[in-house]
Amino acid sequence: MNRVIIITGTRKGIGRYLTEQYLAEGDKVYGCSRRNTDLEHPNYCHTNLDVSNEVEVMAFVRNVYKENKHIDVLINNAGCAAMNHFLLTPYATAQRVFNTNFMGTFLMCREVAKYMVKAKTGRIVNYSTVAVALNLHGELVYSASKAAIEQLTRVLADEIGESGITVNAVGPTPIDTDLIKNVPEEKLQDLLSHQCIKRFGKFEDVKNVIDFFLRPESDFITAQTIYLGGVV
Amino acid sequence: MKKERISEIVLGILKDYCEANGITEELTMDTHLIGRTRIMDSMGLVNTIVDIETAFLDEDVEISLTSETAMSLRLSPFRTIGSLCDYIAQQLGAGEEQ
Repeated sequence: MNRVIIITGTRKGIGRYLTEQYLAEGDKVYGCSRRNTDLEHPNYCHTNLDVSNEVEVMAFVRNVYKENKHIDVLINNAGCAAMNHFLLTPYATAQRVFNTNFMGTFLMCREVAKYMVKAKTGRIVNYSTVAVALNLHGELVYSASKAAIEQLTRVLADEIGESGITVNAVGPTPIDTDLIKNVPEEKLQDLLSHQCIKRFGKFEDVKNVIDFFLRPESDFITAQTIYLGGVV
Repeated sequence: MKKERISEIVLGILKDYCEANGITEELTMDTHLIGRTRIMDSMGLVNTIVDIETAFLDEDVEISLTSETAMSLRLSPFRTIGSLCDYIAQQLGAGEEQ
């Protein structure tokens, strides 16, 4: 499709899957993660960075703009989770989760949106989670950081909507990735019981929603969060 | 980068904005960008600031026009065209040749 796409957290999991898919579809992908990747492709460029580091994010995005003079899509996939009872959650854990999830999304959106505003077009996709809608015990910090992302999605969509940019969020159900590797089985089953369709999500489910947001025909779809699995 | 070049880039972008939006006021270093006598609305200012930042980047000069006091009438670096140029010059080393 020949789009210039930034995806954060591309080393593994959904980010890796999306990167490989969009590369196969002919897009140019700029990815990042804290650690190295073994992904090699003529249209893939990887940068090691921490999405909550302002200097690193600014340099990364500027480089993408300098090389292409436009950025079509931003997918804020990078994220981390933490499960714990509120009363037992260390302050450092809360800071780490908010830094990666919210601050990372905030910084990437701010830097990329500059060039999208200039181009009067662009698509931004953020990540929420069904844990926001379900108010799950033990996921206070994680779901609060994602609730903040939903609010960012709505307000940012309003602030830059007139510039032809859409900002939306996808809220995945549990998917078999590292993010849920430490979640107890009964907790996962309890979570599934709240879904209309009681199965784990797949990478393809997430990409399907993102593709919907990215379609040219979706230029009137903005400020929305779509939860997978029928969570309301 | 010399201060004259900074002013040239900033004024060029502001002139383009004014032409595109039917603003006929003469632009000087004292022209207000925020406040009661501003020449553009807040979204216009944001778009102009983005254009200015990108224009410098196109010349391989990196500046960041984020500011804690962006919308403060008293403290904003975007109060006037002159204060905006000063803010950029400050980031680039007080207007000396880079």
